[in-house]
Amino acid sequence: MVTDTTAAENERRRAEEAEAESADIDRTPVRTYWQLVRQRFMKHRLAVFAVIVLIVLATYALVVPVITGDAWRQTHLFRDDAPPELFDGDGEFTFAILGYNEIGQNLFARLGKATQTSLTIGLAAVVIIVVIGIFIGSIAGYVGGWLDNVLMRFVDIMLSLPGLFVILMITAFFGQGNVWVIVLAIGLTGWTTAARLVRAEFLSLRDVDYVQAARALGASPQRIILRHMLPPAMAPIVVAATLGIADSVVVESALSFLGFGIGGEGASLGTMLQNAQNYFFSGPLKVLYPGLTLILIVLSASFLGDGLRDALDPRQRVDK
Amino acid sequence: MTVSERHVGPLLEVKGIKTHFFTQDGVVKAVDDITFAIGHGQTLGVVGESGCGKSITSLSVMRLIERPGQIVAGEVLLNGENLLAKNDADMRDIRGDQVSMIFQEPMTSLNPVFTCGDQIAEAVQQHTAVSRREAWDRSIEMLRVVGIPDAKRRAGEHPHQMSGGMRQRVMIAMALSTDPDLLIADEPTTALDVTIQAQILEVMRDLREKNRMAIMLITHDLGVVAEMADEVVVMYAGKVVERADVRTVFGSPHHPYTQGLLRSIPRLDERRERLEVIKGTVPSPLNLPSGCLFKRRCPHRMRVCDVAPPYQELGPNHYSRCWLTPAGEPPAVGAEAQGPEAEQAAEALTVEPR
Amino acid sequence: MATYILRRTLQSIPILFGVALVSFAIIQLAPGSPIDRFRTPNVRPETLENLIRLYGLDKPVHEQFVSWFTAFVQFWRTEAWGYSLVDGRSVRDTIVDRMPATLLLGGTALLVTIILAVPIGILAAVRQYSWADKAITTFATVGYAIPSFLLGLYIAYLGTVVFRGAFPSFGMVSLPGSEGRGTPLDIAWHMVLPVTSLAIQQIAGWSRYVRAKMLEVLNQDYVRTAKAKGLSATKVTYKHALRNALIPVITLFGLTLPGLLAGAVITESIFSWPGLGLLGLTAVQNRDYPMVLAFVMVGGFGVVLGNLLADVLYGVVDPRIKY
Repeated sequence: MVTDTTAAENERRRAEEAEAESADIDRTPVRTYWQLVRQRFMKHRLAVFAVIVLIVLATYALVVPVITGDAWRQTHLFRDDAPPELFDGDGEFTFAILGYNEIGQNLFARLGKATQTSLTIGLAAVVIIVVIGIFIGSIAGYVGGWLDNVLMRFVDIMLSLPGLFVILMITAFFGQGNVWVIVLAIGLTGWTTAARLVRAEFLSLRDVDYVQAARALGASPQRIILRHMLPPAMAPIVVAATLGIADSVVVESALSFLGFGIGGEGASLGTMLQNAQNYFFSGPLKVLYPGLTLILIVLSASFLGDGLRDALDPRQRVDK
Repeated sequence: MTVSERHVGPLLEVKGIKTHFFTQDGVVKAVDDITFAIGHGQTLGVVGESGCGKSITSLSVMRLIERPGQIVAGEVLLNGENLLAKNDADMRDIRGDQVSMIFQEPMTSLNPVFTCGDQIAEAVQQHTAVSRREAWDRSIEMLRVVGIPDAKRRAGEHPHQMSGGMRQRVMIAMALSTDPDLLIADEPTTALDVTIQAQILEVMRDLREKNRMAIMLITHDLGVVAEMADEVVVMYAGKVVERADVRTVFGSPHHPYTQGLLRSIPRLDERRERLEVIKGTVPSPLNLPSGCLFKRRCPHRMRVCDVAPPYQELGPNHYSRCWLTPAGEPPAVGAEAQGPEAEQAAEALTVEPR
Repeated sequence: MATYILRRTLQSIPILFGVALVSFAIIQLAPGSPIDRFRTPNVRPETLENLIRLYGLDKPVHEQFVSWFTAFVQFWRTEAWGYSLVDGRSVRDTIVDRMPATLLLGGTALLVTIILAVPIGILAAVRQYSWADKAITTFATVGYAIPSFLLGLYIAYLGTVVFRGAFPSFGMVSLPGSEGRGTPLDIAWHMVLPVTSLAIQQIAGWSRYVRAKMLEVLNQDYVRTAKAKGLSATKVTYKHALRNALIPVITLFGLTLPGLLAGAVITESIFSWPGLGLLGLTAVQNRDYPMVLAFVMVGGFGVVLGNLLADVLYGVVDPRIKY
């Protein structure tokens, strides 16, 4: 059998064997980092659901105030505590599907505006938190030594302050009712966790080979930080920022609820809740609307954060 | 010991056990139809690369498999009694008493919040009717037996105050404090320095002679097997691929995997430029090849390997799961093998090239 | 041990100094001056001058800080923390007066938390994936996500509307003239709603933590060793695993203390509980600077003390830590 095989036959057999071999090897598909991230994220059903909820809320906050215009602050004399409606008596489109509050304001429009305000403040505060956090954290982690020591003691001090009370102080003393004072107050007190995260990442990256190689090649500190150290440190920052949005929205609501937040006729989830206290008896549902919106934002942001942490961080277990 | 005197035959017989893990991604057949036996006072070495199912086999014998794992088939006979048929309470009486176990990681296998003496005494009290005082004395005695100096003081120390070697001695002391008939040692020396390894093996050998105790020694280190074992079971991807006494395994190994393992240990009596390694890795348990599980890495790969090879008896107590003839030659067409497997194989061998 | 506590105490002094510096700076940077409240047409300029001198506002900022801080550390003196700009009472005395109400509320909430959260967390871990575990995990996730002021609001709503005032949602004692006013029972009755609203979030957080730690410990090698010894499941879980799982939980105890003070600001304002939180809130509203500063310092002290307590307790329960 072996003896009378011709060269051609031999050749053919070898090709066939190679084919069999290749058909037999491990067929686990190769995926890029982002494909893996996507795959891991999609597995996290709650996080996917959270994204949908957040998109719906954001759309609501962006679109409804545009459609209803000034309706969120217009008071209607004869519509106090009026029931839900789509059109008013004159046949005009009002979109008041949640009814009216005790001074005749369209609750649906008002809730849209409030969601917009709260989300804007939350996002703006997180931007400040992330910027300060990256700045302080990367300096502490990159330079190290006494500077790191000083900065971290400063972080300790910030963490020892009674946070919410200091924010109350700042907003009360520096211009109560001003949105930007609130944003600054939340941002300036909330960066410590982000700074610690970035510092920890940088400390572990400092001695990694490719960073040392970049240093040996004479790259400038800015370049090393921005090109080589920040990108791998981004995953925990993104997660922290997502969770930070929830925290900031809650702090803003608490401030407004306590009477230190958005002033005047402005609407935020907190001010709506504060007003809601007044109609405990007349319309219990009206207490629920802004409260549920707030809970939805917080839950979605925390699920999204969990999902992102599992998806982005390659050091995490892939799956069991 | 009364039971074992009545029972004729080996101390432990493992017959065709299958331990499967039901994971999200599919069923992992971590242990798939394993059979072996250990006689009284005998030492069985179970070898193979990590991930081949050695530890799961030992945990299956102890019935310590956790969800999502489950023993789905087979028998584990201890002195002729099937452990898999026992209820939980009876099984607990056997664990730590007739069968004891020591683990690979001495650093994490002891509870950090209790003293070493307490942890040994706990095992003693669990299985014998003794006072706290007597149990404590027993634990000091055991610490002395395993060669821990100043045992009285050491018994009062917490695990973190001891070195890895000392902790493994404590583990052995704990396992042997109840005079078990069988000691299952899962990679007992892997995490230790070489000199400490030798000491621990010395202690185990010593106690085996004194107590006439059987040992199931799980290791990937063939050097340890050569020193300790009477018989050897070689595992690969959840199956036994070769089983023989220690002389045969080292003298005339049959399975290409066993041969590969042997070639990858350094030897003083041969001058070799470099150590050979077995190419590739153990296949993913979720993506096992059809036919012979070792074929992707096997230097003798043949077309017939796409059919599951038979578990041939090559001689007295020598088995190998390979198509190669007992002499190590490729099998001829329509080889003497019989049965459906052989027919399939014959077909595979005679298939006309397309 | 004693030296360790001493060293940690000394280490916390600069932190408290920093807290003082930051809070003082915030007030200095704020537009307006502490005596603005007195600037009415009825007050003569000379009186204002006198006030400025009295409060040392004419001196450079750093001198003001030094004199405030040196006075502040002498807490045994009535005048150490200054006098309220609102009612002229000693700030220290007012804070000492209000402290018990807050400690009562926070302490009870903490006690309730520990009594409920630890067994809940253990149950969820031991029965992982069971319906009980799923229910507990869901409660913990949602309970943790609901902002505390919202929870307080809804609980006040439950108390006043749904239960028609079965539990009071206002104050610490019944109105003057009521029967049994100020008795322990009366106070306990008033505590039900505020303690519930403080405790729910803590229970959610704690039980989640206990569950996670318990699961972590149940996967440890030494738990397998304990099983291999032939111990019963009860012994393995409650002797070998629980002892280890509770070690990190102890630190939560220290970290929860300052959280309860922060929570007090919100809870006390919702339920009009006459404690420190309500005091701080009114102080900010009234720009009562000495009171505000003292409140921040007390808060900072709470955090530092909590951390210290956590570290020391950890050392007591974990044999691996030696000072």
